[in-house]
Amino acid sequence: MAIDGLIVLDNAGRPIVQTSFQSTSPAYPLIHIDAYSNALAKVSRPEDVDPVLYVAGIDDTKRSACCHVGCGGLRLLCPVSGDIDPLFALAFLRTFIDILQEYLGHVSASTLRDNFDVVYQLLEETLDSGGHPLTTSTNALRDIVIPPSLLNKLLSVAGANISSLSAASSNPFASPIPWRKANVRYNSNEIYFDVVEELRAVVGRNGVSLSNDVLGKVDTNCKLSGTPDMLLTFTNSKVLTDCSFHPCVRLPRWSRDKALSFVPPDGHFILMEYRYSPSSSANPSTLGVHQVPVPVMVKPSVVINESGGTIDVTVTSRLTTRAIEDFSLELYLGQGAGAPNFMVSGGGSWAFDPRSLTLRWEMANMPASSSHSLRGSWSSSVPHPRPARAFRTKFAIQQHTFSALKIDQLRVSGEQYKPYKGVRGRSLVDIEWRW
Amino acid sequence: MSTQAGQDAKFFQRGKIQEFRAELQAAEVKDKKFIKRKTVLKKIVANITMGNDMSPLFHDVVPCLGTPLLEIKKMVYLFLVSYGKSKPNEIHLVIPRFLEDCNDRNPLIRALAIRTMSYIPIPVVTEALTEQLRHCLKDRDPYVRKTAAICVAKVYTADPRKAEKAGFVEMLRDLLVDPNATVVSNAVAALTEIGDRTDGVFFKLNLSIANKLLAAIGESSEWGQIYILDSLLRFVPERHSDAEMLAERVLIQLNHANSAVVLTAIKILLYLMNYMDNRRLIEHICKKMGPPLVTLLSSGPEVQYVALRNILLIIQRRPTVLRNDVKVFFCKYNDPIYVKLAKLEIMYRLAREENAKEVLAELQEYASEVDVDFVRKAVRSIGRLAIKVEPAADLCIKALLDLIETKVTYVVQEAVIVIKDIFRRYPGKYEGIIPTLCEHLDALDEPEAKAAMIWIVGQHADRMDNADDLLDDLVYTFLEEPVEVQLALLSASVKLFIYKSKSEKAKELVHRVLKWATEDIDNPDLRDRGFMYWRLLAINPGIAGEVVLAEKPAITTDSDRMDRGALDQLLLHTGTLGSIYHKNPETFIRNAAGRALTDTPALNPNSRAVLVQVARTQLPPTAVNIPGPGPNEPRSRKPEPPLPAKPAPPLPGEDGDAEEGGGGDEEENGDETEAVLRPVAVQGDDPYAGLDQLGALGGAGYSADNPKPKGDEDLLAF
Repeated sequence: MAIDGLIVLDNAGRPIVQTSFQSTSPAYPLIHIDAYSNALAKVSRPEDVDPVLYVAGIDDTKRSACCHVGCGGLRLLCPVSGDIDPLFALAFLRTFIDILQEYLGHVSASTLRDNFDVVYQLLEETLDSGGHPLTTSTNALRDIVIPPSLLNKLLSVAGANISSLSAASSNPFASPIPWRKANVRYNSNEIYFDVVEELRAVVGRNGVSLSNDVLGKVDTNCKLSGTPDMLLTFTNSKVLTDCSFHPCVRLPRWSRDKALSFVPPDGHFILMEYRYSPSSSANPSTLGVHQVPVPVMVKPSVVINESGGTIDVTVTSRLTTRAIEDFSLELYLGQGAGAPNFMVSGGGSWAFDPRSLTLRWEMANMPASSSHSLRGSWSSSVPHPRPARAFRTKFAIQQHTFSALKIDQLRVSGEQYKPYKGVRGRSLVDIEWRW
Repeated sequence: MSTQAGQDAKFFQRGKIQEFRAELQAAEVKDKKFIKRKTVLKKIVANITMGNDMSPLFHDVVPCLGTPLLEIKKMVYLFLVSYGKSKPNEIHLVIPRFLEDCNDRNPLIRALAIRTMSYIPIPVVTEALTEQLRHCLKDRDPYVRKTAAICVAKVYTADPRKAEKAGFVEMLRDLLVDPNATVVSNAVAALTEIGDRTDGVFFKLNLSIANKLLAAIGESSEWGQIYILDSLLRFVPERHSDAEMLAERVLIQLNHANSAVVLTAIKILLYLMNYMDNRRLIEHICKKMGPPLVTLLSSGPEVQYVALRNILLIIQRRPTVLRNDVKVFFCKYNDPIYVKLAKLEIMYRLAREENAKEVLAELQEYASEVDVDFVRKAVRSIGRLAIKVEPAADLCIKALLDLIETKVTYVVQEAVIVIKDIFRRYPGKYEGIIPTLCEHLDALDEPEAKAAMIWIVGQHADRMDNADDLLDDLVYTFLEEPVEVQLALLSASVKLFIYKSKSEKAKELVHRVLKWATEDIDNPDLRDRGFMYWRLLAINPGIAGEVVLAEKPAITTDSDRMDRGALDQLLLHTGTLGSIYHKNPETFIRNAAGRALTDTPALNPNSRAVLVQVARTQLPPTAVNIPGPGPNEPRSRKPEPPLPAKPAPPLPGEDGDAEEGGGGDEEENGDETEAVLRPVAVQGDDPYAGLDQLGALGGAGYSADNPKPKGDEDLLAF
């Protein structure tokens, strides 16, 4: 159960940073980079490369696999040669990306190059040369690798030795809890919960949803001093199904009385993820018996002829009180599409991306119960164009959750202060609407 | 960001060794707070990461270890990690520094020192490390202990005998009950690594240790949890109750946010279920496993892919899992192609009478998409659905005919291939559509589709008035056709002759084809078959008819299921590469240890009946059993002699047909020819290739496709 190392490629496929690949030949990482670029050359869309590539190796005895994920134009490769869980490698890659994001803010080839020393230290601390992940909780990492900050840069230019002041904390991992830093202090103690739910649905030609899923997560920002022990209860916990939790949550307590008992990490983290299905109390395993109503109505009409086609789509909001925000609707028009000529009524703007051959209609705000439409035509250099069979529409609804999940109370023990608590709801919708 | 950009990027300029050396020497004096030294080292490390050889600076960099600054030490250690291995003659110079750091006050430095030493597998270093490690494994600081635990595995790799002599394995065992969870999980990781070596000690857990490990899970990092969960495979339950008790404790881990933890937990549950007796508990666990698997599908596409490949295995072994959730696997238009293909396969597996209509509607939708590969698979799945779910066959045929009307060539060809199989599955039911198929004869240019069409014509020549004309046209290009088509033509013309022996045209046709096959063709299969038919017809056309038009073995979907024993074995690798490629890892991964269920009194009788034995290649003579503290449990009895091999080899003709569509009408030897013709796909190219090969491993009639409502899937097997 160990991965062989990690390679970060820039968008041209050149390695930027890689681990030292102790136990393998120097050619080993190169073979994997090759395998990835060969696979990339074979597919039309970069996202179609198999996430677990089989790598034949130089001779028959050196077969291995290459797991990879993309992030901000970068590609992170993770060669594995033993029979390990590819999810282990993929989960590690994701975690590493999260750490980079936490440290660098924005992850890209240039930020990586600018902070290579930090990245290198992070690699050393998160993955030992034998391929075992070491410390991956950012709370603990900050004790041993100092995040780059403007202040740090200024101080080091000014000649002050910041690292001896803040870093080499003589007692790393002093905290008995691996995910929480010890001795955190804040002047005002606050904790915020963002409940974000996403509805993903496929709607058939007849306007009936074929599959329909609401996934929610509780995004938490914790700024509390000391070691607070929290107890969070919901008034309607039975709307939650298939919950998964941050490691800090005491699972036995949850399975006993549906209360979240935890000592939170410091800063941002995702406390829990869940699925909401309205039928949960009746029959948790059957999806789609009772579905979440889709908050918009799309009336599509697409006509295809020899040399192009016409589109007429009307979108109506079914919400009566809230506005829909950041609305977008996309359709791939097929090989050879061009000369788009469209008109919107009711607001928004349309655009055609000639590279991805996708028509996109955007609206920043769509008032409650309003109706909007897009019509027009395009032509195609290929006879009988084959556009995508479905429109893809995405939007957000503020201050709204499908599950109406409600926090009952939050109790803090182990510390004296009374924290400020904030809760906010938001919904995202991603629908595929077939025509 | 761009305002500061380039601050560190400048270090990436190609540096010159001499320049750095001079700078390092200059830094020896008047270096306030070691700023200069730090800058040079940073440049050197930057060059190492770029792949520039900095090893000539060895003698200049090593003295910097004396600097009492962690950041500098770290960079020197980075340098040593990169070049230490290549300096076997100079490395002794560093050893005193190492020893100094091993006894530093700062635990970070102590850990750094042993970690770096463990990366340099040179005897002097290993020697020194062995000495230090003994203290570090008992260090008062958990960070040092956890680092030391991992170092043991490295020492073991460098020199197994020395590590055993030093008693490290026993010390690791003691760490399994360490109060710090991270230390425990690292000890488990190290023991696992040692235990996985073919020459390593045998790592086995007893019940009390397994329980203690599970207790440590709550406080471990996600990686630690994975190590601990995975190590539970090394616990062999002797009693049903042990397995049941552990499973209940593992069950709550299914709520973890980390996808790898979830999948590892599922692996353990699947393993433990083999040792359980309580049907209700088994059912309960199966029910609990579904939702977390579905949750994995809401993650990124790469996680979805791994999850889907595993779900495909799990639902074959435990059909109650997810049996009502086929909708979850409906493809989204924007899913990457590998996700779509994997979903399609699962949709087919989950299809049964109740949901066949929904599934078919989806498949029809996919058949009109843009991606050629996906469309083909979708069309093929419609055909397989017709074969699998009899009540849906009518609708499927109608759907296929609609698709043929689209006149998209690859859709038509794919449809013809599957319709051939449907004819074989339901003889005499759908022959009415043959004229429609014949209208599209000209569209067929792929060998497989052509061969399928020819088979249809030949097989039903008695019911088609124009069969001889059609075949006459098709035979026209006989000599240019690929072997697959030639074989089909040969058989079809023989059938035509048998059906219409009075017809001069048929006689002339079969004569022409037999002559070509035996005189102008180099392919031995084709020639042999030509001679055989010729003689058969010459000696007794009546008997030839009985042979050529003999009852075909019925096509079923049984053959594309895996053998139960092989499944049980593969499921021990749930989540691992083996489960992605559907092959046992020792067949394609170096150093992979084979896994097999161990037979104990608690082993489920059904699992025992299909038990596959794996021999551990060679046990070291000095095998050390690690029972762990606590009462020793009886060691598992010596493996029973392997059960007699499965009696029934897979029925010829069944294997590829349902999935691949046979090449022609050939009876027995048709299959062999096909095996020659169709090279076995490399698993990297086609993830589904492994399925067929595994199907060939054995032919136990495990009917995973028709779960009974009770969910007693184990009873179904026998």
